[in-house]
Amino acid sequence: MTWLAQDPRTLFLGQAVAYPGTAMTNTLIGVSKEKLLELPVFEETQMGMTTGLAITGMVPVSLFPRWNFLLCAVNQLVNHLDKVPVLGHGGFPGRAIIRTSIGSVRPLHPQHQHVGDFTDAFRSMCSTINVVRLEEPDQILPAYQKALEREDGYSTILVEYGDYYNEK
Amino acid sequence: MNFTKEQLIAFEDRVADAFNKGKIRSPTHLHFGNEDALISIFANIHKEDWIFSSWRSHYHCLLKGVDPEVLFSSILEGNSISLCFPEYRIFSSAIVGGNIPIALGTALSVKRRHEDAKVYCFVGDMTAESGLCHESLKYAINHELPIQFIVEDNAKSVMTDTFATWGLESSTFSGRHDDFVRHYNYTNKYPHSGAGVRVQF
Repeated sequence: MTWLAQDPRTLFLGQAVAYPGTAMTNTLIGVSKEKLLELPVFEETQMGMTTGLAITGMVPVSLFPRWNFLLCAVNQLVNHLDKVPVLGHGGFPGRAIIRTSIGSVRPLHPQHQHVGDFTDAFRSMCSTINVVRLEEPDQILPAYQKALEREDGYSTILVEYGDYYNEK
Repeated sequence: MNFTKEQLIAFEDRVADAFNKGKIRSPTHLHFGNEDALISIFANIHKEDWIFSSWRSHYHCLLKGVDPEVLFSSILEGNSISLCFPEYRIFSSAIVGGNIPIALGTALSVKRRHEDAKVYCFVGDMTAESGLCHESLKYAINHELPIQFIVEDNAKSVMTDTFATWGLESSTFSGRHDDFVRHYNYTNKYPHSGAGVRVQF
């Protein structure tokens, strides 16, 4: 994340971004506070704000700590962020990075509303957004690099595994 | 680009005629009755400002500077409900309230990058009552973002009486005109979609 933060266009936003609170928070250690925007819990608005930042040329890195939380933002993701390249005929920069994860189940199991993996469903719903499941550590940097540097105006969802923060 | 009330009405009449003759094969939502209000609002909107609109955006596009022939061609191509012109900083969405958080994010970007621009987000009366609008407005005011929400109130959502559904007498924003909200009333002679002759989608 510190590599992403070096790009002047990036801004990290979401809940537990500037404050501790989720496993993802730990991945932002080392990112300067000016690049971290703590938001209220309003997932749909967060996703819309992500799109709004992206169409101005910024590269928002928007955090939804679990797929189950990202479900609350589906309208903005599928109807808007995914459609920006089409609606704008390629004229909007429109590149965003969405981070989410499959909730950890070890050592505590958070039960049914926190462990969803909707990767395949979102691949089906999105026509431009690239959904990438990060299975191994050596995938991580190239995947973020591609998401940041791609020039087709398409956004990327990067799916992490809660359990792997400790295990891999 | 300056337009008179008569020129705006003539443009929509031309679109209505094309729609009724079957030349437009996509949903089309026409303006009428708010020409004076919009001409006044756009007198203070500049080239570098952003416009966020909805499925009914023809007047907004014209008043922001889109060439009428370019706009008409795009409408003929079926783009009326989600007209976007990046070069004019215009973004429209055909989803109720869809433009609101996007406008909010753009206003955040404008502020963070110290750009000399403002964001104008046009919403209808039903959209203005939604939770999405209220939470976005709260965020915008409390973080002093450069954005104004313009509530275009014809008291209808498609054919539904907006305020009856909410148990309201009138819009929450009736008469409001400040840095963050501007409300106006109007009556549209056109139906929600189309121009009154062909079957609706």
